[in-house]
Amino acid sequence: MLVIATSDKGGTGRSVTSCNVAYRRALQGSDVCYLDFDFGSPTSGAIFSIDPVSRGTEGGGLHSYLQGKIAEPQRIDVWRQTDRETLRSRPPGAGRLVLLPGDQGGGEFSMTKDILQRCTKLFVRLLEEFDLCVVDLSAGRSYAAELVLAATAQQELRGVPHRWLVFHRWTRQHVIAASGLVYGRRGLIEAGAERGHDSQVLADSIRFVRTAVVNPDSEELAGLRPTQVVWLLDCNKDLQELARQHQLGRTMVLATIPLDPVLQMREQLISDRDVWASQIANAATVAAFDQLARRIADDAAWDEL
Amino acid sequence: MHDGKWHWGGRDPSNSVSDAEQLLCIMYPASAVASFKLDIPDATADDVLDALSNLGDAVEVPRLLVRVITSYLRTYTDENGASLFSGGSYFHSDEPGREPTADQANLDVVDSFSMSVSLMLATIGFARVFRTTVRREDLRAEIDEMEALASRRLTAAMVGLLRSFTVKVFPPDSPAGRTLINTVNQGDAPPRIVVADLQRALREVRAGIRDFTIGSGRTTELDNPNRLFECGWAWGVVKDAPEIATDDIGPQPQGVAQPDPYLYFTVNALDGIADLFSERTTVLGLLSEEQVRLAQALRLRWELTQSYWATIGSFGQERWPLEDLPWRTTDEKESDYFSLLVTSMVVQDLHRRRATDSDLRRVGEILEELAERGRITRRATHEDQAIRLHEPGVGLSLDGSEELGGPRLRWQVSDYAAVVLKRALKVAGMARSTELRDTMTALVDDVWAHVLRRRIPSGDAQNLWDSPRNVFTAIDAKDDHQAPSWYFTERIVECLVEAANLISGSPLRSSRLAAIALDLLNEAEHLFDDELLSSSSEVGPAMRDSLLHTQASLVRAREVLSTRPGTAFVLAGEVLRELDRLTVARREATGAT
Ligand SMILES: Nc1ncnc2c1ncn2[C@@H]1O[C@H](COP(=O)(O)OP(=O)(O)OP(=O)(O)O)[C@@H](O)[C@H]1O
Ligand SMILES: [Mg+2]
Repeated sequence: MLVIATSDKGGTGRSVTSCNVAYRRALQGSDVCYLDFDFGSPTSGAIFSIDPVSRGTEGGGLHSYLQGKIAEPQRIDVWRQTDRETLRSRPPGAGRLVLLPGDQGGGEFSMTKDILQRCTKLFVRLLEEFDLCVVDLSAGRSYAAELVLAATAQQELRGVPHRWLVFHRWTRQHVIAASGLVYGRRGLIEAGAERGHDSQVLADSIRFVRTAVVNPDSEELAGLRPTQVVWLLDCNKDLQELARQHQLGRTMVLATIPLDPVLQMREQLISDRDVWASQIANAATVAAFDQLARRIADDAAWDEL
Repeated sequence: MHDGKWHWGGRDPSNSVSDAEQLLCIMYPASAVASFKLDIPDATADDVLDALSNLGDAVEVPRLLVRVITSYLRTYTDENGASLFSGGSYFHSDEPGREPTADQANLDVVDSFSMSVSLMLATIGFARVFRTTVRREDLRAEIDEMEALASRRLTAAMVGLLRSFTVKVFPPDSPAGRTLINTVNQGDAPPRIVVADLQRALREVRAGIRDFTIGSGRTTELDNPNRLFECGWAWGVVKDAPEIATDDIGPQPQGVAQPDPYLYFTVNALDGIADLFSERTTVLGLLSEEQVRLAQALRLRWELTQSYWATIGSFGQERWPLEDLPWRTTDEKESDYFSLLVTSMVVQDLHRRRATDSDLRRVGEILEELAERGRITRRATHEDQAIRLHEPGVGLSLDGSEELGGPRLRWQVSDYAAVVLKRALKVAGMARSTELRDTMTALVDDVWAHVLRRRIPSGDAQNLWDSPRNVFTAIDAKDDHQAPSWYFTERIVECLVEAANLISGSPLRSSRLAAIALDLLNEAEHLFDDELLSSSSEVGPAMRDSLLHTQASLVRAREVLSTRPGTAFVLAGEVLRELDRLTVARREATGAT
């Protein structure tokens, strides 16, 4: 299965969340690969704590591959190469976890027929090898997004399920922006239809992920003044109504990731150790990642009403 | 739900009434309380979903409901397409040692008609809205099927109600006539005069009944102006009730019920019928053209019956017959429960006529007394007879049920506490003065405390009803009290819906309080202006903050003066105190003290 992560705004938590979801899915036993398609700033290496590629690779990444400079993009086995000792060595029962980094200093490029062909070929090949391929796009409407939309519409990829996750923060601006990215002019659905997608089918394969959400009922907020709680609850209600009006209400949401103190400070994977041994991260965050990792492939969660 | 499967039945095995009650525990609030909104998954409130998480998430719950309601509708339709309204396990034998026969268990009962009216209206409304949020063809087809079945059952239930209405006519010197005259004659007027007064008071009801064109209860005996009468609902379709020409709803069963009105079934029918012309029903256009016609016929009976019992219950210039507890029926049975049922109808009638607080206050006092006599707000002694109102409840012999062979049937009603609560809430909602609202709210609180203690303490049905043993220790422990009584639980849910609607309305506004708040506010504003004048423009940050704060309070007080005078009062009070501190401080400075 192909999962494409996108967002309208930058800094929504798209990369951190999808890296963690890839990691969780691998822990659950699937073979997972992660493709950094954020060509302007390919920083997923940093999230996996692989220092040599923390800002993209110099050894021929996705960028070089798509432009035909190399025959195969570089692959990095995360279990083996991560700097974090606690993550190194694959736990028993876990699947493979492979990163395909972008190139350092890559930059955006426009799509040509050849690039499209290479991209399609790559997806086909990876999908034979892995259970789940996560493609992390950049924020907003990009050439990379166009490319993936076009590739998924190709004959070769017709039968393969591909699903879109649109990340947004839980604020008015982000809700409106995310809705625009999907339903608006030149949005995903419109652009997809131009590339040959059936717009209804495409719309059914899009879900939203709310990131860094403050839960007004949570224990961490016990210290707030009553007036602040009342205000938060009211805002939350308003936001829910706004989201509903913008077609990203509850039924379109695949997951809600709570605000986490660790992620607020640093972009990284959260291991079970971080929750249970050092207790720096919240169990609720891991639970949300874990659930999202399951729901991505759970047809019932994608069932239309 | 057990292991992902819906479980029908509770304390009594599944039957058409109990199953409807069980569904209404969810469907009733879902149709009457805004935040419930199960039909728009995107808009369902989070806490509602938390409470229902056992049934699934926001999307699963409405889909489950579609499936379960459809299964209900299929179960209670026979192979000829006729809707079944059987009492089943709710029928008991009235003759020791003999069990009801299968034919008897299949008899239709008014409770089922009435519950079905409410449930079908909730279902049709739910289907209409939920459908708009659904795109999948198969699911839409399921919803459409459910709606079609529900609409058919609704028609059948209305027909059932039209065929179980009855008018009992009797001469004044019959036993029934004498009892009725005794009841209404609270002074010591000669019976002849009382009868004449009563006939006059009931003239319109009598004329209304004589105009009936369809259904049961038509009689030529009312043409005799000397006869007395009683109207309402029998326990089921009455013997020889004519069929009603309407849309195809399958064969209409022969009735066996003796044509005597029962207070219990009358109140029950009235409650169901009221839903037919609620605002929601009209706004959503839930009824078909044919159903509107049937609803009009029912409305006529609804109005006449209410007005009949309200006239009887509050007859005369002196003490109301209703205030003379306990009520005595014309077949000479006495019980506080019957008083409670007549009170219910008087309350409804007062509501319809938008009565004044003085009438409401009288009803409120009766409810208070009934709560005491029913040992809800008073402690019961060990062998208190009043406990029997709650457990096992009042037994109603269903006359005519023996005609099919088998024993005469009995219907057991134990909803005394729920009825007190429901009517007290209603009166509280109708009260115009704060005093009456306050008295009624206090009664509601007391009854609620009692009802809350009667929840089942543990097991699968934890926090559902009913376990009267928690309150009345004299009741023996019984195993089946672990299972929920949908009969009782549904009635409490109705009360909660009533309460939710009462609370979400705006608070009563006291004109006295508003006047005082206004005076207070005027003084505060005056002193504030004075303070502004006398303090120099260079007051420093602390003082400036204080003044700004004071000003904000005054603006807010003005804003809420008419809607929440109490709040305005307190805000103005705070301002006055703040200003006084400054005044006192100044006086200190000038050495005036
Ligand atoms: N659940 C969370 N709680 C707190 N902080 C979070 C959470 N998720 C992400 N963050 C933080 O938000 C910031 C942005 O995250 P991230 O880089 O993943 O976003 P992005 O959408 O990929 O951004 P870009 O558009 O720049 O690629 C990071 O500092 C990250 O650690
Ligand atoms: Mg990123």
